[in-house]
Amino acid sequence: MVDQVQKEFRKRDLLYSGALWLLSLILPDPQLHYRREYRIRKRDLFYLSVLLLLPLIWKDVHFHHLMVLAGIHGILALGLTLFLGYAGQISLGHAAFFGIGSYTTAILTTRYAIPSFFAFWASGLAASFFAYLIGKPILKLKGYFLALATLGFGEIFLVMVRESPGLTGGVIGIFNIPFFSLAGLVFDTYLKQYYLVWGVLSGLVLFSKNLVRSRIGRAFLAVASSEDGASAVGIDVGRVKLAAFVIGASFAGLAGSLFASVMSIANPETFSLNLSVLIVMMVILGGMGNLYGPIAGAIFLTCLIDGLSRYQAYSLPIYGVILILLLIFFPDGIGTRLRVRVIYLISYWGRKKRREKVEI
Amino acid sequence: METWSYIPQLLISGITFGAIYALVGLGFVTIARASQIINFAQGDFVMLGGMMTFFLLKGAGLSYPLAGIFAVAIVILIGFLLHLLVIYPLRKASLPILLMATLGASLFLSSTSALLFGTLPKSLPPFLGRSSFEMGGVSISPQSLFVLGATFLVLLSLYFLSHRTFLGKAMEASSTDPLGADLSGISRNLMIFLAFGVSAGVGSIAGIFITPVFYVNYYSGTLIGLKGFIAAVLGGWGKHGGAILGGFVLGVVESLSVAFIPSGYKDGVAFVILLLILHFRPKGILGSPFIDSRRW
Repeated sequence: MVDQVQKEFRKRDLLYSGALWLLSLILPDPQLHYRREYRIRKRDLFYLSVLLLLPLIWKDVHFHHLMVLAGIHGILALGLTLFLGYAGQISLGHAAFFGIGSYTTAILTTRYAIPSFFAFWASGLAASFFAYLIGKPILKLKGYFLALATLGFGEIFLVMVRESPGLTGGVIGIFNIPFFSLAGLVFDTYLKQYYLVWGVLSGLVLFSKNLVRSRIGRAFLAVASSEDGASAVGIDVGRVKLAAFVIGASFAGLAGSLFASVMSIANPETFSLNLSVLIVMMVILGGMGNLYGPIAGAIFLTCLIDGLSRYQAYSLPIYGVILILLLIFFPDGIGTRLRVRVIYLISYWGRKKRREKVEI
Repeated sequence: METWSYIPQLLISGITFGAIYALVGLGFVTIARASQIINFAQGDFVMLGGMMTFFLLKGAGLSYPLAGIFAVAIVILIGFLLHLLVIYPLRKASLPILLMATLGASLFLSSTSALLFGTLPKSLPPFLGRSSFEMGGVSISPQSLFVLGATFLVLLSLYFLSHRTFLGKAMEASSTDPLGADLSGISRNLMIFLAFGVSAGVGSIAGIFITPVFYVNYYSGTLIGLKGFIAAVLGGWGKHGGAILGGFVLGVVESLSVAFIPSGYKDGVAFVILLLILHFRPKGILGSPFIDSRRW
């Protein structure tokens, strides 16, 4: 009797640990900061192959377009998660850096006919330059006041864009921005743009993965958990926060450049407070302090907004309600919460079987 | 100089706008004194106050005072609901989540009002006709005086509420010393609940008084709310007098800026002032009782 129970145990154990292993292949583990260096895991290869094959399997133009948008939002959310999720600071002005990147590309390619490849890097540089200028004075603020100051920066950016039509085209914006092109290859279809955007995103993920395991990445986490503690162990808190802000902004600038050359339009309405709120939501729903989460959050929210847009006037109220419900029920991110739930369910299933056996 | 002749007129309109910002700022201060939460949906209370009055006056055909009272009651109810449905479930959540939740609530309120009342801008008739009187070459509309009077009355009643009544002291205690408040038997959740009601009431009163001055749109709540918040920070975060002073300073500076820079930059002026004050004196002009606590 005992032998039989023991034997069945092992079988079940194998089963649900197998399920857990499968899960670990798909879902990222949010608590892996302590690993010092990054090695490519099976999970990353799995994501990469899905990424490569998905548009080839699902040949829907609307889906491709949606995924291009989701990839751009993913770059934005990835940049913000370094600042919000890792360094623990809040920014409601991230859309402004997106806008700076967008307008840099728009102006350089339409006025000065600079190749979009160079404009792409110039956008990242411009955004990080402005982030350095604005971050230097305001990053001494904390909490709500930092949120308000960054929000103020975003609003000032919008006013400047609207009021200088000579440079930015005013409220109308800049049209006919050429598509991204590299060595004669023009990214003019949604499929090509998909590979462009997600390729850039993969590169940035690799960069961020190494960054958060470097000295400065661990300094981000230390600053997030306690500024006093971080400065007590010799971390220059101001510099670390500024670094997180500037890196996040440069990601946003690159995303803005991609957005301008994919949509071939730069318009101030795109870079309003709503976009900043959306990016912060992506990071929160993806889970703080984890790199794949915000990208998943970006895909989820982009699809949600697209799905809601069919309800016309009702879409915004529904969107507001869904946001609040998600915040109430998944405050530490959908992925984190779901992962805990699924692991609990699987282990519960194992325990239940075991309990039944033992009772006999 | 042509521009100098406009200055007195701009000063008057600046004071009117300043009174409005002060009223909105008082709403923020009320909640901050009870819970240290910043409610980004405060501006939408203002917008809803104006919209509801318009709707009750034009749609339901009520008289002006009755419409105003009903509008304030409805907005207070919305404030209570906002606390019960959004803030209370998130009472233990971290700051970015609370921030996002109030922004989501703001989005919901503004888009719902667009759905219910339409997207066209609305304006109420002034309380005492459209005539304005001249004083020293400057035309003053009676509505401005009404706004000033309302600001003064609201300030007075809020001051009495928080300094002279037990309820006000309990509200303040639940913010400044949560543990002490718990130990002396003050229900902190009830206090925050009541603070949301009061602040919604103040916001809707502001809405009723400003809708005759300018057109209120479904999305104008966000900007008014932000400027009210800037006023409260400028004067001294968490002080009633600070919100009033900050409101007037902000209104006057913003209004005078029109004389010197293109009027399109007017909305940016408030945020430039915000960045300057946050950098050089985060405590605000009058100093703040909350600013040196760890949370900020």
